[in-house]
Amino acid sequence: MVSFNIHGVPVSNGIAIGTSHLISNALLEVVRYDIKDTKIDLEVKRFKKALAKVKNELSLIKKQLLVDSNSQFVPFIDTHLMLLCDKNISDEPIHSIKNERCNAEWAIKIQLDLIIERFNEIEDPYIKERKHDVVQVVERVIKVLLGHQKQRINFKNESSIILVAQDISPADTLQFKNHKYGAFITEMGGANSHTAILARSLNIPSIVAVRNAKKLIKNNDTLIVDGNQGIVIINPSFAILDEYQYKQNLWEIEQKKLIKIRNVRCKTLGNETISLHANIEIPEDIKYVKENNADGIGLFRTEFLFMNRPALPDEEEQFRIYKSVAKSMGNLPVVIRTLDSGADKNTAADNNKKSNSALGLRAIRLCLSEPHLFTTQLKAILRASAFGNIRILIPMLSSLQELRQTKMLIERAKQSLKNSKIKFNDKILVGGMIEVPAVAINADIFANELDFLSIGTNDLVQYTLAIDRTDDSVSHLYNSLHSAVLSLIDNTIKAGKKYNKEVAICGEMAGDPKLTKLLLGMGLTHFSMHPASILIVKKQVLSSDPKKIKIKANKILRSIEPDNIENLIQDINK
Amino acid sequence: MIKKKVKIINKLGLHARASSKLTQLASQFNSEIFLIKNSKKVSANNIMDILMLAASVGSEVELEVNGPDEKEAINKIEKLFKNYFDEGE
Repeated sequence: MVSFNIHGVPVSNGIAIGTSHLISNALLEVVRYDIKDTKIDLEVKRFKKALAKVKNELSLIKKQLLVDSNSQFVPFIDTHLMLLCDKNISDEPIHSIKNERCNAEWAIKIQLDLIIERFNEIEDPYIKERKHDVVQVVERVIKVLLGHQKQRINFKNESSIILVAQDISPADTLQFKNHKYGAFITEMGGANSHTAILARSLNIPSIVAVRNAKKLIKNNDTLIVDGNQGIVIINPSFAILDEYQYKQNLWEIEQKKLIKIRNVRCKTLGNETISLHANIEIPEDIKYVKENNADGIGLFRTEFLFMNRPALPDEEEQFRIYKSVAKSMGNLPVVIRTLDSGADKNTAADNNKKSNSALGLRAIRLCLSEPHLFTTQLKAILRASAFGNIRILIPMLSSLQELRQTKMLIERAKQSLKNSKIKFNDKILVGGMIEVPAVAINADIFANELDFLSIGTNDLVQYTLAIDRTDDSVSHLYNSLHSAVLSLIDNTIKAGKKYNKEVAICGEMAGDPKLTKLLLGMGLTHFSMHPASILIVKKQVLSSDPKKIKIKANKILRSIEPDNIENLIQDINK
Repeated sequence: MIKKKVKIINKLGLHARASSKLTQLASQFNSEIFLIKNSKKVSANNIMDILMLAASVGSEVELEVNGPDEKEAINKIEKLFKNYFDEGE
């Protein structure tokens, strides 16, 4: 086999050695796995069962349509039913399962790809568009198959599996959380894409923006993923494999050393205590928070509770979740960010919203336009505040009016709880995210009106530099160290000091050990990051001499030469 | 075996609903029914294959019917084509 290298943008450190698994685009969760000879009949049966189930579903829909006198849609359902029974969909995959010994999802997926290819050759635009009917039918079948498969799928050794995908959407990331794969490789994305953030949070090596990865890498290729250098080595020679196994061991030893500082108090050489908090998305993340001994939760991104479901969670369900998180953290702070939905993260609350723009109706804007949805969440958070040290964080504030409207809704929610004689913390702290440049510029005004500030550097960089984080063609322009970004952060930290309000950073910058000393030097005392980054950042804090880094940080803040900043960063980390 | 050429006159051609009507009708007969266009021959029982003939308005397809009820089958199918697949245009 020919060995060759491909390159991309490294977004999460470490080295992984394993075999490739390609993920199809149409339904991201479809992966190929081998079926043992003895299990092939069972797999065929599983496939046929899924077909029968979808047929049943469609027939029920048809019946319902007739009852609701929506009979004009019946022919569409009839078409879907017929497509389902067509030999291309009902027979061909069975041949694939038998001949290729692959799982049913994969068999029908490759058949779909073939059909789409043939449809794409058709010139008549109307008939060409019928491929969407085929896709819809196949997606139904795959969904049923995956539903059955959840208990069945069992990669023997997940850590040796390297996922190769076009892209991974935020909603898909949830599914990967329960698995510990060896590495991620994606064709799309930049250093701050969701794949990157996910990989860092799972602490596994990851390389994004690897052009044509899915064409160059075949299933079950042996791969070395060097997340430090951004190199993927396909079918490496034995010598190279040996070398990397050695490197991987060294890396793992380095990681293990970090565990030793888990229980050490986090302070600088000047004896100043620094708080390292964790960002979480779902209650299950608490496990990692404890593992790394975080001082609290600095950012609970609640939108993930709202994703991947047809209906929004009600007050009771949200209350139970917030309460369980608060209780498990005891007296330590738990900062709950209200729904930050919209843009690249969609929930049922975004239904029928045409634009997904990062500048559109999202986060607090969406919440204020849907007061019922927002009040439900506020009441759930307030109720949970009786059980721990909960704080409220408002995302994407851009004006004082929004802040005042939000405060009014919080007061109303409190009043309604008082009327119902339900306990809550009346003095609950309310903070705001600093991610819109307008607010960072006016940080003084917001520091005065809020109890604490939290800088969301990912969006702050995106908005300040006008870089769409989801567009990989401009990802090279994304620069957290741009002097304008640093000056906005500086301004916010100073505003906090002036009004004696806590300022934290909860974006990716907080978890980047290369930037820890710079941020400390700028006067930051609260960092919130993925639990997996806490120990490596702590290591940086422990070796920081406040006097020295303050001078060097000032130098970086004054520097306007982009090329020079890298050198200065290296210098401050010496 | 009977062969006959028919012209597609309905506006949308052999699209999804027209194809499904044809498939439904074809399944009622005991004869084997094929459609031929540009030397591609597909069974009238396979909706996907019919769709992929991409027979749009104005094009011509050949029907080939072989079996005990071939006469009735070809007549009824031809009628379906001539009735614009009951779509009115």
